[in-house]
Amino acid sequence: MRALIIDDSAVMRKVIERALRQAGLELTEVLQASNGEEALQALRDDHGKSNPLSLILSDINMPVMDGLQFLEQRRDEKLAVGIPVVMITTEGSEPLVLRAISAGAQGYICKPFTAEQVKARVVPLLRAA
Amino acid sequence: MQATENPTPHHEIVNRLDTAVSEVFEMMLERSCDPMDGDVNIVDGRIVARIQFTGAVSGECILYASPATAAVTAEALLGTASSEPADPMVDDAIGELCNMIAGGWKSKLEHPQAGCLISVPAVTREGLGALEGKFGTKFSRTYSFQGNVFGIVLAF
Repeated sequence: MRALIIDDSAVMRKVIERALRQAGLELTEVLQASNGEEALQALRDDHGKSNPLSLILSDINMPVMDGLQFLEQRRDEKLAVGIPVVMITTEGSEPLVLRAISAGAQGYICKPFTAEQVKARVVPLLRAA
Repeated sequence: MQATENPTPHHEIVNRLDTAVSEVFEMMLERSCDPMDGDVNIVDGRIVARIQFTGAVSGECILYASPATAAVTAEALLGTASSEPADPMVDDAIGELCNMIAGGWKSKLEHPQAGCLISVPAVTREGLGALEGKFGTKFSRTYSFQGNVFGIVLAF
């Protein structure tokens, strides 16, 4: 499966990728973006590929374009329709969670997290997709 | 923190910080990390990360460490060996560590303080000088994991 990880921290992108692999997901390719704008471009470039993305994980608090703006723009442009999006962030306040869900996020994981928590939140979404 | 009718006791602020640090180290680095008594002077070439709180709480969380401690931290976070102290990933790791600790501390606050926003981390190797003096109330704490020492300042 292919995944897109969006986080302004290169360290955190690596940590998230490692957690996905520890969760037992067989990742054939991991696209990376350091903000929402880069992520949108990655989705536009990926549109129509025969082997589409299976999962998007995104931080919220990022420079240039944050994770909530990314979700809303993705929805408006109808990019990666039906692909589950999970927010991984230190921002766990209720208004942000509700805004993320209303903008199309299906899951929410707060940093710090364990690989088990990632597995518990992500695997059911992949099965349901 | 902003003045309220019942300000949060000093020990409660520090307890929340200790718990946030412990959780980040156990969950993300798979290591235990404990508070130390007294201050430890980390001056030479230290890496400083800062997260700002705005809104219901106005203040900042500053984390500082020596390049050697920061390199060990990056290795533990990434699960890899031999990060060099000058590696940009080391600065990134310290920024994320500060981010997660500040976020964890914030998540333990009660309404309405928990509704404050946190900034993205700013990381510098130019010292704490430019960052000091902005806020009047400070809580300083030093921590150790496997003999590696770093400091955290919460200021409001």
